[in-house]
Amino acid sequence: MYLRAGGGRIIVLLFLAGLILTGVAVAQVNNGDVSCYHCHPKQVNEFEKSVHFNKNISCTDCHGGDIKINGTVISINVMTKDFGGSPSKLNLTTFCSKCHAQVTAKYETSIHWEKVREGRTGSASCIDCHGLHNILSSKNQDSLTHLENIPLLCANCHENQTKMQAWYYGIKTDRFDTYKKSYHYKSYLSGGNVLATCSDCHENHDTRSEDEPGSAINPANLPATCGKTGCHPGANNVYVYGGKIHEEQSVTLFFIDVKSLVTYFYIIMILFELTFTFGLIFLGITSGLDIRRKNHD
Amino acid sequence: MTELNFKRFTLNQRIQHIIFFGTFILLAYTGFPLKFPDEWWAKWMIASVGGFDNRTLIHHYSGLLMIGVSVYHVVFHLLEKPRFDVLFNLQDIKDFNQQMRYYLKLTDEHPKFGRYTWKQKFEYFGAGFGAVVMGFTGLLMWKPFEAMYYFPIGVVQIANLFHTWEAVLASLAVFIGHFYDEHFGKYPNLSWITGNISEEEMRLEHTREYEAAMKDNGDISGATETGHSNSMGLITIFSKPVFTVVFIVITIWMLWISYQVLVDAINTYVL
Repeated sequence: MYLRAGGGRIIVLLFLAGLILTGVAVAQVNNGDVSCYHCHPKQVNEFEKSVHFNKNISCTDCHGGDIKINGTVISINVMTKDFGGSPSKLNLTTFCSKCHAQVTAKYETSIHWEKVREGRTGSASCIDCHGLHNILSSKNQDSLTHLENIPLLCANCHENQTKMQAWYYGIKTDRFDTYKKSYHYKSYLSGGNVLATCSDCHENHDTRSEDEPGSAINPANLPATCGKTGCHPGANNVYVYGGKIHEEQSVTLFFIDVKSLVTYFYIIMILFELTFTFGLIFLGITSGLDIRRKNHD
Repeated sequence: MTELNFKRFTLNQRIQHIIFFGTFILLAYTGFPLKFPDEWWAKWMIASVGGFDNRTLIHHYSGLLMIGVSVYHVVFHLLEKPRFDVLFNLQDIKDFNQQMRYYLKLTDEHPKFGRYTWKQKFEYFGAGFGAVVMGFTGLLMWKPFEAMYYFPIGVVQIANLFHTWEAVLASLAVFIGHFYDEHFGKYPNLSWITGNISEEEMRLEHTREYEAAMKDNGDISGATETGHSNSMGLITIFSKPVFTVVFIVITIWMLWISYQVLVDAINTYVL
């Protein structure tokens, strides 16, 4: 009796369970990434926060393969021919350029891409600056490419001696340190409106060596680079007397290095000033011979 | 006997002094945080003037005002009636020598100073030198691209170097030396407001000038008669400790800054 009644309930429960499962399956069809989520939860979570999510872009756009419905589970069919796994550094731009053709073309003129093509896989490509699955708009404060995060983003590689030595011989690793001495950085650090970070001078996508004629930091182009709207409109003479902003320029006058001369002069002056001031205060107090006190006593 | 007050600073000079030290304090307050942007006090000071861009604005226009008052000072006093006892002379060397001997108890006789002591002359011309250095280098740094029309960028960097060093030197001289000598040590010295010093101060600190004035018994045209007024009372009692604390805090701050720039320079240029 009990069992029979129980059997009826089981049928009802099974029916309900079936309904729920169907609902889940329908939901899975609507969200094409849920199945990838089973094995790649971290990547899918990151992707769902990114600027690409809900813009008609799915895993297959970068990873290739074909969305297949296999029973109730959807996944990229890894057996189709164009499944590529992770795009390699060399063919990454072909994926990005599907939508970002202009910017990718710009990037492909950069020194970073030049080095990638030479086979130095450590050189920066799209994902090294923008992030992999968690690409955010550069207007977002948390974005790697937000204006305020750019110095640290660049310093991540450019301040790292081992990385720099391994990839590109002769590049200087004190660029962030020298930038820190500049007014640009101090304004940036203190929340000023007037600030310039790496990409403002070196360009973000077509970062090039100063030797190249098209580079933003080529001496011929410095007036345009420094004279950007909102920066230094009067910068039309930089070429004439320009110099390297990251370097200390030595100025020699009659075979003497002026900077050392000024420094030595003021070291002596300040030591003199300190000794004299405190010496006289000390003498005045300890000798008890301060003119006022003596005459008052 | 009635007490005489001797005129030391005219109203014009007192206003010049107030503008000069007012802009000096503003410039130091908005300048040093830029040299040490990572320090907690720098962040606090920048926030207290309403952000980095306000800081820049205050620094630039205080600087202009200081240049203005310096130029005015030179032009006015040259046109008015230049006085040559403000220049260094042989008597200063004798006075200095005498004062050192007096401090070291080699003699009982304190030097008799004229209107300006050798130390006051040092401070005066130091301030003049500082105003010239800070003014020119500051203008170069304010408009670096206009400056680079005439000079290489290295010159702008040298201007920067000068500006920092002279700022430290001038602040040491003013916040420690001048404060102690003229305000803290002679507390409460109100001659920067009233323009007058009492007969007693005149007799003790500017003996030679006092004697010269009293000898003819008619050459005290600048002096005014006044009742004896030493009643600063409560204000003195409360302001002296406050003044002392402020003086000590600023002294420690200045010593920290000097230490930092000296160590940095020695590491970069000497070692």
